[in-house]
Amino acid sequence: MELSQVRYFITLCKTLNFTRAAEQCNVTQPAFTRAIQRLEEELGGKLLFRERSLTQLTELGRAMRPHLEAMLDAADAATALAAAKRLHTPGSLKIGLGPGIGAAAVAGAVREVAVALPGASIHFKESGPAALIEAMLTDMLDCALLPEGCDMPERLNRWPLYVDRAVAVMPEEHRLCARNAVTARDLLEETVIVGESCGGFAAQLAGITGYSLRLQSCNGAAAQMLDMVAAGLGVALLSNRLRIAAPLASRAFTEPELERRILLTSVAGRPLNPAAASFIKLCRAQGFGSLEKRLLF
Amino acid sequence: MVATLGNDGFMRQVLAAGAVFPDFMLPSAEGRLVSLASRLASGPVVISFFRGEWCPFCRLMLAALTEALPQIEAAGASLLALTPETGGLALAMKTYHGARFEVLCDVDFGVGLAAGVVFRVPKLYRARCEAAGLSFPARHGNAAWCLPVPATFILDTDGRVAWRFVDVDFSHRAEPADIISALRQLGRQ
Repeated sequence: MELSQVRYFITLCKTLNFTRAAEQCNVTQPAFTRAIQRLEEELGGKLLFRERSLTQLTELGRAMRPHLEAMLDAADAATALAAAKRLHTPGSLKIGLGPGIGAAAVAGAVREVAVALPGASIHFKESGPAALIEAMLTDMLDCALLPEGCDMPERLNRWPLYVDRAVAVMPEEHRLCARNAVTARDLLEETVIVGESCGGFAAQLAGITGYSLRLQSCNGAAAQMLDMVAAGLGVALLSNRLRIAAPLASRAFTEPELERRILLTSVAGRPLNPAAASFIKLCRAQGFGSLEKRLLF
Repeated sequence: MVATLGNDGFMRQVLAAGAVFPDFMLPSAEGRLVSLASRLASGPVVISFFRGEWCPFCRLMLAALTEALPQIEAAGASLLALTPETGGLALAMKTYHGARFEVLCDVDFGVGLAAGVVFRVPKLYRARCEAAGLSFPARHGNAAWCLPVPATFILDTDGRVAWRFVDVDFSHRAEPADIISALRQLGRQ
């Protein structure tokens, strides 16, 4: 398929009018119609049907539109980013982080964007899934990292990025620090601190084991929860991708292993600025150390 | 599939000799952003499209290019391998071959589309891939079921296509010896 054919088709999807779409693409209508026909031949069926003045997408047209739109955006973004670098156009990158999802895993990708586009402003927003989704839909955020399983509208693109595993976080002098790993049974004698930034690991644990854990609720940012752990309030189950520094320590949590999959999301069909588009590509290109074996032959 | 592509004038849409290859910036296997312009600043660039880590012909081609890299570099050129595969598969492909050249992720086929090398996988071939457990939507992060033809372009330092090899038959690849001789000829011009 040709870039121009795809561009014509996406313009036609937006206008649903051959004459107007051809005008917008600066091409004669016969040439425009031929291009659409050639694309239909390649894709193996009609993309649109025309009834008098009415033009509508066929089922195939509707199915192909988001994929072709992504490809067209990718073609434009690859050149737009190169141009932005040449012309030193600063950009902005606004990333949402769901509960208990740190920026460490994507920090390398953010650095690359900032190096390629000097002057780009970087903005992180930590919040619950609903607030982040609302912010993406109203164009206040470019993309967000969200846990799988949260309520998402159809129009969000979602790509699996990595799997988070729970670790037990406690003060360095805590008795469980002497172990290589902490189990559910070990926690029966402990207070477990739970809050929004915990990633739901404690609830998952209670669901799997049926144990009634001694819970202490503590809401706020991850930093505040860690301060409470350091003060000896209890043990917290957090993502293994958060950076834990002295005087705290973390131990792998096993029996049962607690996991959650993290998705990268963005609003489908919305053109992104070069900084955001390249950030998403960088993230999607990577394996995050958890390349799924099922993909490898 | 080869016959379908061969018959529908696919070759006409591929960037031809003399055309300017659109500048781009793509993520590398290691998670860096690599721009075409930065490579062209230091000499001609060989761009080779790969279908993916799963493709035995691509593996052979990558092995051959890995071996030919010293001669490509001796001719003053750099080599960029582009694949539509995401999720760390580009790095897996690069590591497997111990390749020193850049393997770039052409996420959502953007550069391949601009170069005219992308096609939609015909139904029969798609059914075979699915039966073999090969999920392009999972590997590409895009459910279009597209692939690039494994084309190779040599760009001069102005970014123009000086030489290309395109064959819709995915088992036919550019010979490293031909790439090297085209590069040497470019150096003499």
